[in-house]
Amino acid sequence: MKAKRIVAIISLLVILAAGLFAVLNAYTLPRAYDGKDAAGNAIDVVELYENPTNYDVSDADGIADIIVKQNLEKTMAANNVAAVVFDFRGFDTLGESFILLTSIAGAFVILAKSHKKKKEDEQ
Amino acid sequence: MKFKKGLAEKNVIMKCGADMMLPFAVVFGIYIILFGTVSPGGGFQGGVMVAAAAVLLYLAYGYNTAKQAINTEVLRVGEACGATLYVILGLCGLFVGANFCRNIFFDNGAVGDLISAGTITFMGYSVGFKVLTGVGFLLLLMMSLLAPDNDDEEEEEE
Repeated sequence: MKAKRIVAIISLLVILAAGLFAVLNAYTLPRAYDGKDAAGNAIDVVELYENPTNYDVSDADGIADIIVKQNLEKTMAANNVAAVVFDFRGFDTLGESFILLTSIAGAFVILAKSHKKKKEDEQ
Repeated sequence: MKFKKGLAEKNVIMKCGADMMLPFAVVFGIYIILFGTVSPGGGFQGGVMVAAAAVLLYLAYGYNTAKQAINTEVLRVGEACGATLYVILGLCGLFVGANFCRNIFFDNGAVGDLISAGTITFMGYSVGFKVLTGVGFLLLLMMSLLAPDNDDEEEEEE
């Protein structure tokens, strides 16, 4: 009992230290939303929602730059989310759909077994 | 028991509501799957909407009718077929010499056409078919636990 409590306290301290480290590191990162649109004027989040063409995409980098700027040349899909799910992250979607497959197989095994057992008990 | 059975099967409001909603639910779900690359939605969402037709059938007519109307073996095999189709479409990218899930033959038609996005469109269809059959099978499996095993046995007990 006492050893368990010591282990719990130590693991909590480790988690706390990791959280503090993450917070202190995240505090030094540059801000993603600086309150300015593409033209450099101050803009509200509500205004961005009402007029999405004002998004500042000038300093997007890496895969975000490709997804935002070259979506139509690369995929011709009007729905950008479908392009991300099935093209840019197609391997991820493969795993997602196989999660569904395995979960249904597991549910079938468990539920069908309990069903059969219930019938046997009644007999 | 007879009264209970009649209550379950002759609820006019549930029956008429399900009769009215079922075609629209199925057609709208299939529309969401087919236009996944053009409009909001996609395979996962539309598949679940079509699978909800099984719930409507169960609510209106009970488990036995739903089981008669929907062949669960076909659903189980169809899910595996949809998953295999997705893998084959993903491997198409390897066959043309690029990476897995590479989008090929996407430059036919204008932006906004139904089949304008190449393999993305057909991957969406295969995932929609897979989710439709898989979730439908899962729902029927859960309904089989709710439903009584055999009506004749319960009538004998009473």
